[in-house]
Amino acid sequence: MTTTATEDPQGRPGQDPQGRPAREPAFTPGASGASGAALAVLPGVLASALAWTDAHRTRFALPDDVLEPHTQVNATLKPLGELAQLGSTIRRTTAPGTPEHEVAGDLVAYAWEQVHEGALLLELLRAEPFAAYPYEIYAAFAGYGLRHEGFEALARPLTATRAWAHTEQHANRQLGLVNSERRVGVVTHTDAGGVLSRTWLGGLSEPWMFEGSSGYALTHTVFHLTDWGRMPDRVPKKIDGYLRTWLPAWADGCLESGQWDLTGELLAVAASLPGPAPVELLDAVWPVLADVQHPTGCVPETGVPAEDPSPDPYPFIDCYHSTLVTAFAAALSLRSLRQTDERAGRPTGEQTGETTPGRERHTP
Amino acid sequence: MDQKHASSPLAGAVHDLATEVVLALRSGDHLATVCGAAGIDEENRTGIAAVRVIGADLLLPSVLYGRHPHPGDVAVLDRAVREFPPKPDAPAATAWSHWHMISTLQRMAPPAPGAAAPGTYAEPDAAWLEEAPWQAFTHQLSVLAPLAVPAAPSAVQRAAANRAVDLSRGFVRAVRRRDWLQAAGAGRWLAATGGEPATLGLDRGLDFVELMGGHDPRVTLHVRAARLMAEARAR
Repeated sequence: MTTTATEDPQGRPGQDPQGRPAREPAFTPGASGASGAALAVLPGVLASALAWTDAHRTRFALPDDVLEPHTQVNATLKPLGELAQLGSTIRRTTAPGTPEHEVAGDLVAYAWEQVHEGALLLELLRAEPFAAYPYEIYAAFAGYGLRHEGFEALARPLTATRAWAHTEQHANRQLGLVNSERRVGVVTHTDAGGVLSRTWLGGLSEPWMFEGSSGYALTHTVFHLTDWGRMPDRVPKKIDGYLRTWLPAWADGCLESGQWDLTGELLAVAASLPGPAPVELLDAVWPVLADVQHPTGCVPETGVPAEDPSPDPYPFIDCYHSTLVTAFAAALSLRSLRQTDERAGRPTGEQTGETTPGRERHTP
Repeated sequence: MDQKHASSPLAGAVHDLATEVVLALRSGDHLATVCGAAGIDEENRTGIAAVRVIGADLLLPSVLYGRHPHPGDVAVLDRAVREFPPKPDAPAATAWSHWHMISTLQRMAPPAPGAAAPGTYAEPDAAWLEEAPWQAFTHQLSVLAPLAVPAAPSAVQRAAANRAVDLSRGFVRAVRRRDWLQAAGAGRWLAATGGEPATLGLDRGLDFVELMGGHDPRVTLHVRAARLMAEARAR
């Protein structure tokens, strides 16, 4: 699934309606970002976000008329594809036997049921044989080992055409297609490196030009490049350094402007980097996102968090994606932090203010 | 006085002074006094207060072009130092600004033998800067942007040089917040001390900051200073 879930509907951070910059927040040493702060909140954030998703799983159910032309894909197949994609990543990132691992597996199985073990996706492909999205949704399942022979039989000749190889789309989405091809196990239509160099991220764009749309393009570039965090070593060294250098500035802006969904995606990117976890960044940002999370586990996409204690303080469509992203980012962050501890020979949670070895070099 | 952007007589005087400094920086051979052009003399209390706000940047054209400052500007800066000493509980940034005004006067216009020196003032502490999170660090450094000049070593300058990546992140944050003055100050520090990551794109970033925020002459002042220092470094 590669469609960008949410475009930033908001303005810039820290600006009042007259366009003046906001006041600087007071500097309170030690208030956030304490060593170990991320690990202190992450298990609860993950369990709670997954519990909310599980409790709302029927909201991901496909309607009977899902294949009719009038049905909104963004409210039906897209959320379900995201449930499969992020659920399968969480399943693979968590340890067997843990409750999170079990719930994530249940959610993927539920999504697979909803597409009738792939039969519905074949029907979708027959209805729209020249569109890419049925293939991308199918790839989310195929990458997890859930496959449908008939779907692949029809997709095989289509994905071998010149037309498929020349599908016109944004570079980050083309990377998504390459990743889908890898998951299904066919020869990719082009070289991922060449596509990467055409993305906003691959161009090492000036970091002060970051905004909502380039932000989502950047996070999806990393998700597709790393197969949703599974293959951090696919991140080239210079992009690793670039991200370690600038993610703190971008995450800070997203927090200040209440862009919780994009914050979660940036955290997932941070946890998908090769080598040691960017501990300082995770310690600074996770406690803030944990505060935004509702007691029931859902996280709003943007804006001031609701103080409403009822189970559903936000419309489903305005919080399901950010909640899934939060769970996904939390699972990746836990893995990244624990691996960092293991490499350093420390018991988990004993942080030492890890350095960032891959950080970009200074100009001479 | 140009009151267009001024919310008070002091803000107006600061605006006028900064405008004159920018003109002097642009012309490079500006011989008139900055204060004179802004209509400020030693008897103008609002003007003296405005000089306290601009700080040692009053002499910036002379500092960057290596020329002797105009005696009128030296006199007004000296007056501002004497009239507005920091209180014992003043914020650290105020103490640093005061220290820098004195050291700039000593460097650029040493008193004639027998004349009264502006007094000594111990270099303030900078340990608090080293511990500040990058956001607060950049904000404070931006307030102290007049200290970002060549050949004027200080603990603040060493902190800036040691935390170039943090300052660069602060520049990015300030642009995103449309805080052009902070961005210009951070950019000036980076131009003075170097060491920013290559991907920052500081030159184009400073162009952008000036074009977006240049209605405030203090923004233009910092950007112009940054360009002159960057050109000098490149030589």
